[in-house]
Amino acid sequence: MNKPVDVLQGTLDMLILKAVSLGPLHGYGVLLRIQQISKDRLEIQQGSLYPALYRLEHQGWIASEWGESENRRKAKYYRLTAAGKRRLQSETEKWNRMADVIAGILSTRREEV
Amino acid sequence: MSSWSRIRSRARATIRRSDMEAEMDTELHFHMEAYAMDLVQSGVPREEAMRRARLEFGGVERTKEECRDARGVSFIETFLMDLRYGARTLRKSPGFTIIAALTLALGIGANTAIFSLVDGILLRPLPYANPQQLVSVKGTYPKGGFVAMREQLSTMEVAAYSEDHEFNLTGYGEAVRLPGALVSAEIFSMLGTRAELGRAFYPGEDLAGKDNFALLSHALWQQRFAGDRAIIGRVIELEGVGRQVVGVMPADFRFPSARTALWLPLHNDPRNTAAYWAGDFMPVIGRLHGGTNLEQARAEIKMFQSRVTKMFPWPMPAKWNSDVTVLPLRDAMVGDVRGRLLMLLGAVVLVLLIACANVANLTLSRAATREKEIAIRSALGAGRGRIATQLLTESVLLAGLGGLLGLMFAKGGLLLLKATLPTDMPRLMDVHLDWRVLVFTGTLAILTGFFFGLAPALQSSRVAPAESLKSGGRGAAISVSQRLRSALVVAEVAFAVMLVLSAGLLIRSFWSILHTNPGFKSGHLLTARITPNESFCEDAARCLTFYRSVVNQARVSAGFADAALVNTLPLGGRITKRNVDLEEHIAAPGENAPLFWLDVVTPNYFHVMGINALAGREFNDVDEAGGPVAVVTAGTARRYWPGENAVGKHMRLLKEKEWRTVVGVIPDVRAFDIQTSEPDWIEGTVYIPYNSTATLEDGRVPAEMTIAVRTKMDGLQAESTLRRIVSELNQEVPISEMKTMQEVVSEAVSTPASTTSLFATFASLALVLGMIGIYGVLAFLVSKRTREIGIRLALGARRHDVLWLVMKEGAKFSFAGVALGLAGAMVFTRLLTSELYGVSPLDGITYFSVTGAMASVTLLACYIPTRRAMRIDPLTALRQD
Repeated sequence: MNKPVDVLQGTLDMLILKAVSLGPLHGYGVLLRIQQISKDRLEIQQGSLYPALYRLEHQGWIASEWGESENRRKAKYYRLTAAGKRRLQSETEKWNRMADVIAGILSTRREEV
Repeated sequence: MSSWSRIRSRARATIRRSDMEAEMDTELHFHMEAYAMDLVQSGVPREEAMRRARLEFGGVERTKEECRDARGVSFIETFLMDLRYGARTLRKSPGFTIIAALTLALGIGANTAIFSLVDGILLRPLPYANPQQLVSVKGTYPKGGFVAMREQLSTMEVAAYSEDHEFNLTGYGEAVRLPGALVSAEIFSMLGTRAELGRAFYPGEDLAGKDNFALLSHALWQQRFAGDRAIIGRVIELEGVGRQVVGVMPADFRFPSARTALWLPLHNDPRNTAAYWAGDFMPVIGRLHGGTNLEQARAEIKMFQSRVTKMFPWPMPAKWNSDVTVLPLRDAMVGDVRGRLLMLLGAVVLVLLIACANVANLTLSRAATREKEIAIRSALGAGRGRIATQLLTESVLLAGLGGLLGLMFAKGGLLLLKATLPTDMPRLMDVHLDWRVLVFTGTLAILTGFFFGLAPALQSSRVAPAESLKSGGRGAAISVSQRLRSALVVAEVAFAVMLVLSAGLLIRSFWSILHTNPGFKSGHLLTARITPNESFCEDAARCLTFYRSVVNQARVSAGFADAALVNTLPLGGRITKRNVDLEEHIAAPGENAPLFWLDVVTPNYFHVMGINALAGREFNDVDEAGGPVAVVTAGTARRYWPGENAVGKHMRLLKEKEWRTVVGVIPDVRAFDIQTSEPDWIEGTVYIPYNSTATLEDGRVPAEMTIAVRTKMDGLQAESTLRRIVSELNQEVPISEMKTMQEVVSEAVSTPASTTSLFATFASLALVLGMIGIYGVLAFLVSKRTREIGIRLALGARRHDVLWLVMKEGAKFSFAGVALGLAGAMVFTRLLTSELYGVSPLDGITYFSVTGAMASVTLLACYIPTRRAMRIDPLTALRQD
């Protein structure tokens, strides 16, 4: 298995939006889900998750609500808002276009120039 | 992102700040515990799991700080933060804070008080309906003239009033004398004021035979009639005549003056030719009809004037009312008070300028010493906007403090002003604290402090912070602001010199007023007005007998040395005028006989007043029995019989059959005011004995006399003795205006006294502020040059070289300021000319002594910083930073 890579600058917000789009999660849950769907290939600095969550909430893309965790503890759950859904969509498209372009550039061989 | 959610988030961030902190805490801890639990389940020991959870999470506090930033910080939070920081810095330098706040408070307070006065008296519209239409006719008219005017004018409706009347009210407790006004019936509807209770006069109620009515002031109604609403319709006895009370006027109705207690209708009776055309000459006010302006009214009144002169049953002199015109009522009411108020305003604006200069200086000094602090903050990433906001907050805080204190000063000052100023000042009762001025001066002060604090601070944050840090705060901004600060301090001293000089001139003038010889001796002299009803004195014998009894009783009363009566007391504010024929000066036919001030006195009056005859003798009991005699003043004698002995000359009151012999000449008495014996329209003063031949213009003997008593006992006892004597003789006769002669004199000088004391107050304020200014600049200079002085001392400079070094700087400010101030004062004090008596506005002694005093006082202010400089220890100074 490969060594986990640090999450790319500016992509954490997108990952969080994706994670909560699959269902409401608390902060730790967001971390677990990203690790789970990335099959532990991404390393996220745990503390950095929260400023991102607060920022997204401040921008209105996610909303929070206090609820009960699986082991009966009080926890704050985040879910995607309608604005967040649109944002995720546009961010995803942008990312895909960008990835295509970058991949295309990186895979270029000498004879193709 | 929706702006709504941003607002909501920010609002939540502000309102639920502590809630959010707690929630954030809970959330982060939940995360760490959940992670630790997962680790425990995978076999890590509990202790180790907690440690790893904390470690892998990273800095909790840093995370929280980032969260707070992410969520957005509110303006209010920043403001509160700045406020706390500002309060802390201000608390840390109490000297600066106290001086700056006090300076602001004095400037704001004094200005608010004086401007409230100016606003209440000069600027605020009169408290009547549509006050801009109200006018005053400059000129006075007898009843007949006024009635003609009322009928003929088309540009305005008019109303007349006759002030200075007094009425005895009897039958309701002790008999009292009340000041009242005779008014034409439409004056209340014209001013647009309704009665508080009952009604005002109806048109036509000023005609003879239909005028038996009275209106009460609110204060009189409360005091004499206990606010009884049943007073309406009741008949009260005024001057022995029953009059029906038709209404009570509201408390804030103060026309013609604040002391008016009663309004009675004019008694218009065309059949009584003398009273109708020669009686009271009354002021007239008017209301312009819609669509007409002042110019049209002026033109019409001039036309009317030429017509009315021909309506008199006798020829009127051509100069009578020849300058008649129409003025806005407010201007006419305020009259000559305007000049004095504007002068006070000028003085107090100087105080404000000094205060602002002081605050500017203080904040400049402070900003320079704070360069280092500001450099640190900008090095740590604070933007210039952020630093400016913080400084502004601090200024606002300081100004708030000063403003609050200033408000207290203003309130106290206004109370003091109302107590100091002469009570007859028009509209004084209408004056209230003016909030707009308070806010205006407060804002001005804030901005001053802000800009002078901001400029150097921003400058220092623009220059590389590293420079400032390295130089230990002796940065580049100083040299620029040093020049500015010197200029400010010189200006401050100059303004202070101008104010002190003005005060000095006024004080010298007041001193000479107080030391003028009024012509009488005011010590141990009690005076009171004794006023039977006018009808009582229609029987001259009854009237004379009554007064003779009063004087005789007073003269034999234990505790009284002597007593006499006079109709017009010197400085008492009343004049009785009479045309006279004088030997060698008989007026030609068609010319007016000279108009004299007629004093009617009992024997011994001159002795009681301490007036010694210059020639001849004073009146005796034989004269009182009916001798045709008179006494004139020295000025009158000089005027009509220059170089001759007036004693033995002859004169008589106009229409008197018998000639009177002048039996004595007395020195001039300051009777009209403390500076003059007679008003300029009076052409002489004559005294005649009080007997049945001593008649006034209306042919009656005077019914209002003032008693003057030389006392040997204390004031209260003397007063009650006098009251008892009068009431035992006649209970219906009120006794009023009981004052010692000294009180009469001090009331007569209350106007210059108040102007002088106000100027003296402002001058001392200016002086103190100016001293603080010089002190502040020098102290700053010394603290900045500590190192330099230390080096000089180490290199062998002596202490007195240091003294010279610092004093030289101080002396520069001092002399430049005094010189500029003297130049300014030569212009400024010219405005005082009308207030000065016996002193020129360029009085050498005052200029000389004020120059000396100001120079020494400003140099004194240099003393403390200089001493500090001289005590600098070179070793300590060099080791510093």
